[in-house]
Amino acid sequence: MLLRHDGFRRLCRARELLAQLDGPQPTIEALAREVRISPAHFIRQFEALFGVTPHQYRIQLRLDRAKHLLAAQRRSVTAICMEVGFSSLGSFSTLFAQRFGEPPSVYRRRIQAADLVPGCLTLMAGVPDRSFREAERRALHDTSGNQSRSPHAHQADEHHGG
Amino acid sequence: MRIKLTSIMVDDQEKALRFYTDVLGFTECRDIPVGEFRWITVTSPEGPSDVELALEPNANPAGKAFQDAMFEQGIPVAAFEVGDLTAEVARLSAKGVVFTRPPMTAGPVMLAVFADTCGNLIQLYQPTP
Repeated sequence: MLLRHDGFRRLCRARELLAQLDGPQPTIEALAREVRISPAHFIRQFEALFGVTPHQYRIQLRLDRAKHLLAAQRRSVTAICMEVGFSSLGSFSTLFAQRFGEPPSVYRRRIQAADLVPGCLTLMAGVPDRSFREAERRALHDTSGNQSRSPHAHQADEHHGG
Repeated sequence: MRIKLTSIMVDDQEKALRFYTDVLGFTECRDIPVGEFRWITVTSPEGPSDVELALEPNANPAGKAFQDAMFEQGIPVAAFEVGDLTAEVARLSAKGVVFTRPPMTAGPVMLAVFADTCGNLIQLYQPTP
Protein backbone atom coordinates (compact mmCIF):
# COMPACT_ATOMS: atom_id res chain seq x y z
CA MET A 1 0.00 0.00 0.00
CA LEU A 2 1.26 3.45 -0.87
CA LEU A 3 0.29 6.16 1.58
CA ARG A 4 0.65 9.63 0.13
CA HIS A 5 1.71 12.57 2.24
CA ASP A 6 -1.82 13.68 3.12
CA GLY A 7 -2.99 10.21 4.18
CA PHE A 8 0.18 9.70 6.18
CA ARG A 9 -0.35 13.02 8.00
CA ARG A 10 -3.93 12.10 8.85
CA LEU A 11 -2.93 8.79 10.40
CA CYS A 12 -0.13 10.46 12.39
CA ARG A 13 -2.69 12.99 13.62
CA ALA A 14 -5.02 10.15 14.63
CA ARG A 15 -2.21 8.51 16.58
CA GLU A 16 -1.59 11.80 18.39
CA LEU A 17 -5.28 12.06 19.27
CA LEU A 18 -5.28 8.46 20.52
CA ALA A 19 -2.31 9.28 22.75
CA GLN A 20 -4.29 11.93 24.61
CA LEU A 21 -5.44 9.77 27.49
CA ASP A 22 -6.73 12.57 29.69
CA GLY A 23 -10.31 13.71 29.42
CA PRO A 24 -13.14 12.20 27.38
CA GLN A 25 -12.03 9.51 24.94
CA PRO A 26 -13.49 9.77 21.43
CA THR A 27 -14.77 6.58 19.84
CA ILE A 28 -12.76 5.11 16.97
CA GLU A 29 -15.55 6.18 14.58
CA ALA A 30 -15.36 9.76 15.87
CA LEU A 31 -11.58 9.73 15.41
CA ALA A 32 -11.96 8.47 11.85
CA ARG A 33 -14.38 11.32 11.13
CA GLU A 34 -12.01 13.81 12.73
CA VAL A 35 -9.18 12.82 10.38
CA ARG A 36 -11.59 12.44 7.44
CA ILE A 37 -11.06 8.75 6.66
CA SER A 38 -13.91 6.21 6.53
CA PRO A 39 -13.86 4.02 9.68
CA ALA A 40 -13.10 0.80 7.77
CA HIS A 41 -10.22 2.39 5.86
CA PHE A 42 -9.01 4.11 8.99
CA ILE A 43 -8.68 0.89 11.00
CA ARG A 44 -7.05 -0.98 8.10
CA GLN A 45 -4.56 1.79 7.24
CA PHE A 46 -3.71 2.49 10.87
CA GLU A 47 -2.93 -1.18 11.46
CA ALA A 48 -0.81 -1.43 8.32
CA LEU A 49 1.20 1.65 9.35
CA PHE A 50 1.55 1.08 13.10
CA GLY A 51 1.18 -2.68 13.46
CA VAL A 52 -1.85 -2.48 15.79
CA THR A 53 -5.44 -1.32 15.38
CA PRO A 54 -6.40 2.09 16.83
CA HIS A 55 -8.22 0.37 19.70
CA GLN A 56 -5.21 -1.85 20.48
CA TYR A 57 -2.96 1.20 20.32
CA ARG A 58 -5.01 3.08 22.90
CA ILE A 59 -5.15 0.04 25.21
CA GLN A 60 -1.36 -0.36 24.94
CA LEU A 61 -0.75 3.28 25.82
CA ARG A 62 -3.02 2.99 28.86
CA LEU A 63 -1.20 -0.14 29.99
CA ASP A 64 2.21 1.48 29.44
CA ARG A 65 1.17 4.46 31.52
CA ALA A 66 -0.21 2.19 34.24
CA LYS A 67 3.07 0.30 34.30
CA HIS A 68 5.01 3.51 34.77
CA LEU A 69 2.67 4.68 37.55
CA LEU A 70 2.86 1.32 39.31
CA ALA A 71 6.64 1.61 39.43
CA ALA A 72 6.84 5.30 40.27
CA GLN A 73 3.97 5.82 42.69
CA ARG A 74 2.55 4.17 45.77
CA ARG A 75 -1.14 4.57 45.01
CA SER A 76 -3.30 1.45 44.91
CA VAL A 77 -3.53 -0.72 41.80
CA THR A 78 -7.24 0.11 41.64
CA ALA A 79 -6.59 3.86 41.71
CA ILE A 80 -4.04 3.55 38.90
CA CYS A 81 -6.39 1.30 36.92
CA MET A 82 -9.08 4.01 37.10
CA GLU A 83 -6.65 6.84 36.35
CA VAL A 84 -5.50 5.32 33.06
CA GLY A 85 -9.08 4.85 31.92
CA PHE A 86 -10.11 1.28 32.71
CA SER A 87 -13.42 0.81 34.49
CA SER A 88 -12.88 -2.83 35.46
CA LEU A 89 -9.97 -4.01 37.58
CA GLY A 90 -10.46 -7.53 36.21
CA SER A 91 -10.05 -6.60 32.56
CA PHE A 92 -7.18 -4.23 33.43
CA SER A 93 -5.32 -7.05 35.21
CA THR A 94 -5.95 -9.48 32.37
CA LEU A 95 -4.80 -7.06 29.66
CA PHE A 96 -1.78 -6.00 31.73
CA ALA A 97 -0.75 -9.63 32.19
CA GLN A 98 -1.18 -10.30 28.48
CA ARG A 99 1.11 -7.38 27.58
CA PHE A 100 3.74 -7.64 30.30
CA GLY A 101 3.60 -11.30 31.33
CA GLU A 102 2.43 -10.74 34.91
CA PRO A 103 -0.53 -9.07 36.64
CA PRO A 104 -0.11 -5.48 37.88
CA SER A 105 0.12 -6.41 41.58
CA VAL A 106 2.90 -8.93 40.87
CA TYR A 107 4.73 -6.44 38.66
CA ARG A 108 4.60 -3.79 41.38
CA ARG A 109 5.94 -6.14 44.09
CA ARG A 110 8.76 -7.28 41.82
CA ILE A 111 9.79 -3.83 40.54
CA GLN A 112 9.73 -2.28 44.00
CA ALA A 113 11.83 -5.10 45.43
CA ALA A 114 14.32 -5.09 42.57
CA ASP A 115 17.74 -3.59 43.10
CA LEU A 116 19.05 -1.31 40.40
CA VAL A 117 20.72 -3.11 37.51
CA PRO A 118 22.94 -0.67 35.63
CA GLY A 119 22.96 -0.75 31.86
CA CYS A 120 21.31 0.76 28.86
CA LEU A 121 18.32 -1.56 28.97
CA THR A 122 17.51 -0.48 32.51
CA LEU A 123 17.73 3.14 31.48
CA MET A 124 15.42 2.44 28.57
CA ALA A 125 12.93 0.77 30.85
CA GLY A 126 12.11 4.05 32.54
CA VAL A 127 12.90 2.87 36.05
CA PRO A 128 11.53 5.09 38.81
CA ASP A 129 13.32 8.32 39.58
CA ARG A 130 14.36 7.23 43.02
CA SER A 131 16.46 4.45 41.50
CA PHE A 132 18.38 7.01 39.47
CA ARG A 133 18.84 9.23 42.48
CA GLU A 134 19.96 6.26 44.52
CA ALA A 135 22.41 5.30 41.78
CA GLU A 136 23.79 8.84 41.78
CA ARG A 137 24.13 8.83 45.54
CA ARG A 138 25.86 5.47 45.43
CA ALA A 139 28.25 6.68 42.76
CA LEU A 140 29.07 9.68 44.95
CA HIS A 141 29.56 7.50 48.00
CA ASP A 142 31.71 5.06 46.05
CA THR A 143 34.02 7.76 44.76
CA SER A 144 34.29 9.32 48.22
CA GLY A 145 35.31 5.96 49.65
CA ASN A 146 32.23 5.56 51.80
CA GLN A 147 31.32 1.88 51.45
CA SER A 148 29.14 1.64 54.52
CA ARG A 149 25.81 2.26 52.84
CA SER A 150 23.67 -0.82 52.50
CA PRO A 151 22.60 -1.68 48.95
CA HIS A 152 19.02 -1.64 50.23
CA ALA A 153 19.33 1.68 52.01
CA HIS A 154 17.02 3.27 49.45
CA GLN A 155 14.12 1.52 51.17
CA ALA A 156 14.40 4.17 53.84
CA ASP A 157 14.40 6.96 51.28
CA GLU A 158 11.14 6.13 49.59
CA HIS A 159 9.55 9.41 50.59
CA HIS A 160 11.78 11.01 47.95
CA GLY A 161 10.21 8.94 45.20
CA GLY A 162 6.63 10.26 45.32
CA MET B 1 37.62 -0.46 15.75
CA ARG B 2 34.84 -1.94 13.66
CA ILE B 3 31.12 -1.36 13.21
CA LYS B 4 29.51 -4.71 13.92
CA LEU B 5 26.35 -3.71 15.71
CA THR B 6 23.75 -1.08 15.09
CA SER B 7 20.32 -0.69 16.57
CA ILE B 8 16.85 0.54 15.93
CA MET B 9 14.22 1.44 18.51
CA VAL B 10 10.95 -0.46 18.32
CA ASP B 11 7.68 -0.03 20.19
CA ASP B 12 7.15 -3.78 20.71
CA GLN B 13 10.05 -6.22 20.54
CA GLU B 14 8.02 -9.33 19.74
CA LYS B 15 6.12 -7.55 16.96
CA ALA B 16 9.45 -6.20 15.68
CA LEU B 17 11.08 -9.63 15.63
CA ARG B 18 8.15 -10.98 13.61
CA PHE B 19 8.26 -8.07 11.14
CA TYR B 20 12.02 -8.02 10.67
CA THR B 21 12.16 -11.80 10.13
CA ASP B 22 8.82 -12.89 8.62
CA VAL B 23 8.23 -9.81 6.48
CA LEU B 24 11.65 -8.31 5.73
CA GLY B 25 13.39 -11.69 5.68
CA PHE B 26 16.22 -11.09 8.16
CA THR B 27 17.47 -13.97 10.31
CA GLU B 28 17.11 -14.06 14.09
CA CYS B 29 20.61 -13.98 15.59
CA ARG B 30 20.24 -13.45 19.36
CA ASP B 31 17.25 -13.38 21.69
CA ILE B 32 18.39 -13.01 25.29
CA PRO B 33 16.10 -12.04 28.17
CA VAL B 34 17.29 -8.85 29.91
CA GLY B 35 15.02 -8.01 32.81
CA GLU B 36 11.62 -7.24 31.41
CA PHE B 37 13.03 -6.72 27.91
CA ARG B 38 15.05 -8.80 25.46
CA TRP B 39 18.32 -8.37 23.66
CA ILE B 40 17.22 -9.23 20.14
CA THR B 41 19.42 -8.97 17.09
CA VAL B 42 18.93 -9.98 13.48
CA THR B 43 21.33 -10.41 10.59
CA SER B 44 20.80 -10.35 6.85
CA PRO B 45 20.98 -13.65 4.96
CA GLU B 46 22.59 -11.62 2.18
CA GLY B 47 25.42 -10.64 4.55
CA PRO B 48 27.66 -9.46 5.99
CA SER B 49 26.83 -12.31 8.35
CA ASP B 50 28.59 -10.78 11.37
CA VAL B 51 26.85 -7.39 11.31
CA GLU B 52 23.88 -7.38 13.68
CA LEU B 53 20.89 -5.09 13.93
CA ALA B 54 19.51 -4.86 17.49
CA LEU B 55 15.78 -4.30 18.01
CA GLU B 56 15.78 -2.20 21.16
CA PRO B 57 12.76 -1.24 23.26
CA ASN B 58 11.71 2.41 23.08
CA ALA B 59 10.44 2.29 26.68
CA ASN B 60 12.35 5.42 27.64
CA PRO B 61 9.99 8.37 26.97
CA ALA B 62 12.89 10.35 25.47
CA GLY B 63 13.44 7.59 22.93
CA LYS B 64 9.78 7.45 22.11
CA ALA B 65 9.58 11.23 21.64
CA PHE B 66 12.53 11.11 19.23
CA GLN B 67 11.07 8.17 17.36
CA ASP B 68 7.61 9.75 17.03
CA ALA B 69 9.04 13.08 15.85
CA MET B 70 11.22 11.48 13.18
CA PHE B 71 8.30 9.37 12.01
CA GLU B 72 5.89 12.29 11.78
CA GLN B 73 8.44 14.32 9.84
CA GLY B 74 8.74 11.45 7.38
CA ILE B 75 12.42 10.86 8.14
CA PRO B 76 13.76 7.30 7.88
CA VAL B 77 15.89 6.19 10.86
CA ALA B 78 17.75 3.47 8.96
CA ALA B 79 18.55 2.52 5.38
CA PHE B 80 19.04 -0.96 3.93
CA GLU B 81 20.69 -1.62 0.58
CA VAL B 82 18.92 -3.82 -1.93
CA GLY B 83 19.97 -5.27 -5.28
CA ASP B 84 16.64 -4.73 -7.04
CA LEU B 85 14.52 -1.99 -5.51
CA THR B 86 11.50 -2.51 -7.76
CA ALA B 87 11.36 -6.20 -6.91
CA GLU B 88 11.73 -5.55 -3.17
CA VAL B 89 8.99 -2.93 -3.18
CA ALA B 90 6.68 -5.37 -4.99
CA ARG B 91 7.56 -8.22 -2.61
CA LEU B 92 6.97 -6.13 0.52
CA SER B 93 3.83 -4.46 -0.83
CA ALA B 94 2.35 -7.92 -1.45
CA LYS B 95 2.93 -8.62 2.26
CA GLY B 96 0.95 -5.53 3.25
CA VAL B 97 3.88 -3.19 3.96
CA VAL B 98 2.99 0.51 3.73
CA PHE B 99 5.26 2.68 1.60
CA THR B 100 5.31 6.41 2.23
CA ARG B 101 7.62 7.12 -0.72
CA PRO B 102 7.43 5.11 -3.94
CA PRO B 103 10.66 4.26 -5.77
CA MET B 104 12.39 7.43 -7.00
CA THR B 105 15.81 8.37 -8.23
CA ALA B 106 17.91 10.58 -5.96
CA GLY B 107 21.39 11.23 -7.29
CA PRO B 108 23.46 8.03 -7.23
CA VAL B 109 20.68 5.84 -5.82
CA MET B 110 17.10 4.78 -6.30
CA LEU B 111 15.21 4.82 -3.03
CA ALA B 112 11.85 4.10 -1.42
CA VAL B 113 10.58 4.46 2.15
CA PHE B 114 8.32 2.13 4.15
CA ALA B 115 6.89 1.88 7.68
CA ASP B 116 8.22 -0.98 9.82
CA THR B 117 4.97 -1.15 11.92
CA CYS B 118 7.12 -0.58 15.03
CA GLY B 119 7.21 3.22 14.90
CA ASN B 120 9.92 3.76 12.26
CA LEU B 121 10.30 4.69 8.64
CA ILE B 122 13.00 2.73 6.84
CA GLN B 123 14.67 3.61 3.56
CA LEU B 124 15.56 1.06 0.92
CA TYR B 125 18.14 2.10 -1.63
CA GLN B 126 19.69 0.62 -4.71
CA PRO B 127 22.91 2.13 -6.04
CA THR B 128 22.49 3.00 -9.69
CA PRO B 129 25.31 2.11 -12.08
